[in-house]
Amino acid sequence: MTTLILLGTALALLQNGLVVGAILFSLGLIGILSRRNLIVMFLSAELMLQGISVSLVAWSRYHGDFGGHVLVIFVLSVAACEAAIALVFVLQAFTRTGRLDSAAWQTLREATLDRSVDHEIPSLDTSTPSFPRLTPAGRSPDTDEHAGMQRDHV
Amino acid sequence: MTPFVRLFAGTGNLEFLSPGILLAVAVTCLAVSLYLLLPKSGRDGKASRRIGWLLGLITLGLFIATGQRLGNLGEETVFLTVSLVAVISAAATITCRSPVYAAIWFALCLAGVSGVLLVLGAQFLGVATIVVYAGAILVMFLFVLMLAQPSGLTTSDRVTNEPLLSAVAGAVLLGLLSLSIGRLSAEEPLCCRPPSKAAALGATTVEKIPTESVNLLASDQVARLGGELFGHHLVAVEAVGILLLVALIGAIAIVSNGLEGSQAETSSLQEGSHS
Repeated sequence: MTTLILLGTALALLQNGLVVGAILFSLGLIGILSRRNLIVMFLSAELMLQGISVSLVAWSRYHGDFGGHVLVIFVLSVAACEAAIALVFVLQAFTRTGRLDSAAWQTLREATLDRSVDHEIPSLDTSTPSFPRLTPAGRSPDTDEHAGMQRDHV
Repeated sequence: MTPFVRLFAGTGNLEFLSPGILLAVAVTCLAVSLYLLLPKSGRDGKASRRIGWLLGLITLGLFIATGQRLGNLGEETVFLTVSLVAVISAAATITCRSPVYAAIWFALCLAGVSGVLLVLGAQFLGVATIVVYAGAILVMFLFVLMLAQPSGLTTSDRVTNEPLLSAVAGAVLLGLLSLSIGRLSAEEPLCCRPPSKAAALGATTVEKIPTESVNLLASDQVARLGGELFGHHLVAVEAVGILLLVALIGAIAIVSNGLEGSQAETSSLQEGSHS
């Protein structure tokens, strides 16, 4: 009976870990499908890799061996390589177009697809945020006008 | 049947609350909330974002309700906390408008993921995730952002491609994955598990607990992981080392080629303007 309970606990841990991994993977997928900033797209790809790592470690815990751990170490190394190469490409793309927008490269699209045009761009929120303001208390201090001029560095 | 469902099924008229229906509701809530949260054109008020966050929290609650109990209250609490940190900051990573904020949310997500890895018994990987990802890769991302980000939010940060379709696609994927995860059971033989000799002989055996799982959490775990890595997987380690070297050389080559190319372009442009 205790073996069954222990087995159930191990299975529950496995399922919870796999669900967390699946959520991370799906969020990364949504990000890489919808976002247009190149760097945020790569962050989403890294998010998917994190989901995979969590799933692999959960399986490794369930089976009680180091296979998943070893795979995650290789995933880390390949992710480092990928990030290095990808960021170099992003920098090159930025120096050519001046934008981090993936739509700047839409001349590379399929010939049958239409050009994507931003019809409606939301306006930038230019209103200054409301900062907390201290109520003045006491009398205002005497200021030496020359002291401010003499200070050569702050 | 999870305890949550059993609790409500016991009260009478809530028997329709099966885990499948809860999962369907959770997936729908997730799709709608991510659609509301993703930056998009049109009316982009704060009210819709608030509704999006509310629906996201409802989704998380439903996932927690359909999740399996771990039996140990302390372990459960720790696992819940770190996975909530990871998931919420992952959602904030993909919905944040500013890429710098997205990178910082991703750092928090990495902290949560490393906590999940620690709970799952991967001590070395939990630390390596912080050191390698948050320490090296994320800082590299931030450097590139500082080098390349134009001032202020650009158009591409405020608009997304097909937010509804991508949110639905991700939510459907998540629903299918968690459906198949929920069907895993200890009784059924898992396809990945190597068949034991007794099972191959046709004898019915009680499923054995992996006895090494105790050893997996032993104090010399890192040493044994190193032994496994450099014993059984030595060739793969060498291959990954070569891959890192090639990536390094490739990155330098691309950068220097691009510099020469841009200099040649500018010089040719200048010549063209002079002539």
